[in-house]
Amino acid sequence: MKLKICHLYPDLLDLYGDRGNVMVLAARSRWRGIETEVQKKSLGEQPDYDDIDILFIGGGSDREQNLLVVDLQRHERELRQAIEDGLVVLAICGGYQLLGQYYQAGNGLKMPGLGILDLWTAAGDKRCIGNVVVRLDETLRAAADTSGESDATLVGFENHSGKTYLGEGIQPLGKVLHGCGNNGEDGGEGTRYKNVFGTYLHGPLLPKNPHLADLLLKLAWRRRGFAGDFTSLDSRLEREAHETMVQRILAGSHR
Amino acid sequence: MAQKGKGDFRLKRTWRFWLALWGCKITDGVIRLLGKSGTTLPGVVANRLDPRIISHLGRGNYPEGIIIVTGTNGKTTTANLLANVLKQAGKKFSFNEAGANLVTGITGAMARNTGWLGRTRAKLALWEVDEATVPQLCAQITPTQAIVTNFFRDQLDRYGELDTTVRLVREVLPESTRLILNADDPLVAQFGLGRQDVVYFGVERTPESSERSDETREARFCPQCGAELAYSLFHYGQLGRFSCPVCTYQRPEPQIQAREVRCEEQRIVFQVDGQEGSLALPGYYNLYNALAAYSSAKTLGIASGTIMEGLRGFAPQAGRMEAFALRQGRVILTLVKNPAGFNQVIRTVLGAASRQPLRLLLAINDQAADGRDVSWLWDVDFELLQAIEENISLVICAGLRAEDMVVRLKYAGITEEKIRLEDDLAKAVALLQKDWGSGGQAYALPTYTALRPLRDILAAKSRQAGAGSGRQETRKSKEDGV
Repeated sequence: MKLKICHLYPDLLDLYGDRGNVMVLAARSRWRGIETEVQKKSLGEQPDYDDIDILFIGGGSDREQNLLVVDLQRHERELRQAIEDGLVVLAICGGYQLLGQYYQAGNGLKMPGLGILDLWTAAGDKRCIGNVVVRLDETLRAAADTSGESDATLVGFENHSGKTYLGEGIQPLGKVLHGCGNNGEDGGEGTRYKNVFGTYLHGPLLPKNPHLADLLLKLAWRRRGFAGDFTSLDSRLEREAHETMVQRILAGSHR
Repeated sequence: MAQKGKGDFRLKRTWRFWLALWGCKITDGVIRLLGKSGTTLPGVVANRLDPRIISHLGRGNYPEGIIIVTGTNGKTTTANLLANVLKQAGKKFSFNEAGANLVTGITGAMARNTGWLGRTRAKLALWEVDEATVPQLCAQITPTQAIVTNFFRDQLDRYGELDTTVRLVREVLPESTRLILNADDPLVAQFGLGRQDVVYFGVERTPESSERSDETREARFCPQCGAELAYSLFHYGQLGRFSCPVCTYQRPEPQIQAREVRCEEQRIVFQVDGQEGSLALPGYYNLYNALAAYSSAKTLGIASGTIMEGLRGFAPQAGRMEAFALRQGRVILTLVKNPAGFNQVIRTVLGAASRQPLRLLLAINDQAADGRDVSWLWDVDFELLQAIEENISLVICAGLRAEDMVVRLKYAGITEEKIRLEDDLAKAVALLQKDWGSGGQAYALPTYTALRPLRDILAAKSRQAGAGSGRQETRKSKEDGV
């Protein structure tokens, strides 16, 4: 019994402490007594999508992102299939945009994405930078199946100029209580499609949102058919960090 | 800019200029009378009254030149080292001390150096300039020399992405400006492509250099052709001996190169131009700051011996490896502001902890000057501390983001029982001293806005202990050491 986490392009997409998300997934899996392996895959190295349990893609600068769309397109079919089959994916910022249909630059030029999620991104004229609090979608919260006040929200930091719009069939992760979210217009932030979670929140995201980290792990466990109890961990320190920020942000004292 | 590259003549002065100059000087005087310092108000007033104030004050008024220092890390230290060398050489110069490195701070420094009748008192100017401010500054004056230290990710929330910052700075540095560049940083060395008379400084190797690196690093790709850069040696971060496997871009051979680098008792010792240099700043990253200052001073025509004297006699400034003697032990205070800098500090801590047990105080704020986004804490290699964990008895996390720091340490594998959360700085210092025993050693690592309050607390405690301030202690240990 072994959980395999694949960190895609850790050398290129690692702008905002993204590796923290992988560290948290690996640690919380190990603390539950599950042997855990982290694979790093970069340009020209295709992950074995049948073999991995969680895929993580972070955010990068524009130049680096262009470089790897080409690379990623080479295994787009395998990735798409794995996602349809329930592969757990966390895609943040640039990684989130990449999974969509296209990115429309300021000059009108459309750069194709992988087209796996029904969403698209257009360059905005102002950058969304700041702390974000999101009220989690009810079904997601139920899926996370944890108690505790902090589990109703996600807290993180956004820094993006692209505005992302979701297609008809897919839902956001939740509603923005503070910050821009997907596009600063419809109040939505991120998306969930099957077991794919896309979001603009870094900070990084998982250290301060242990309930989301656990949801990803739980989904990966179930898919792999792991037996045994999904034990709850002592997350007091993480919750304290979460709640302190939520209170500060919503009280408006962070500026 | 109509008169690009012509920095040698004075502009016609208008009534706006006089209003701005006097407004600035009066504001400055009033603020000083009120006993305050370090404010940018005089500069704000001056720029409001005359948006071209910098070119009026700067052009043609510094016959020996205008030197700017920019880059991500080491600006303040480099500028202070160079200032010490210039003093040693008997130069009179205008200087923006205390890191007032935005347009307003530089204006304030210039106005202070200019008399009521508009005459400058110094012949030379030395300014530390924030990376994002270089374009605004170069739109008004043409620096004679520009020192570029390095580029690392830092406060992305303020500047957007690193690429943008680098490009902005590179594009606006005028052709007639002599560039003093770090040859070991591919992001900086690229500024020299296609330019004449560039001065490069670099390091042959340090005891910490290695053929492999797992550190977070910027600039994986060749700025010229986009291929992945190859390294035969890493010093730290992306600094090292790099070359592009595809095109001709490679680490330029530095004219100023440090050899035989080693650390001796809180000092770095090295050879440059066949002379031995010594620097009272631990951490090999500081060697680059010394080399940058050396290169600039040499370009000005100052004799090597005088430069070395200036570097040797330098006492660390506030909050850069500054020591405070408290009643029970010694606290070393140093600023941390981004992953590359923090990793270097951790290496220094590892060295210290291998000799004796120590305590840590991490004070993380997220005000504008610190960077609002604390995700950079996850790019710092706190995992390295595991190697000496038995010699770290206590880690106190303080500041507005203390809770984030605690979580980071938990995932870095630091035993939870050793971690304490204390938002309040004064209480955090009290906790640091509690049951410390005698002869203790601690490192206090604050981000920018936590530095000054933490320093005040430590200085007060140090006075109470009657051992004098940390600076005096540093000077004394230096005399003993050399």
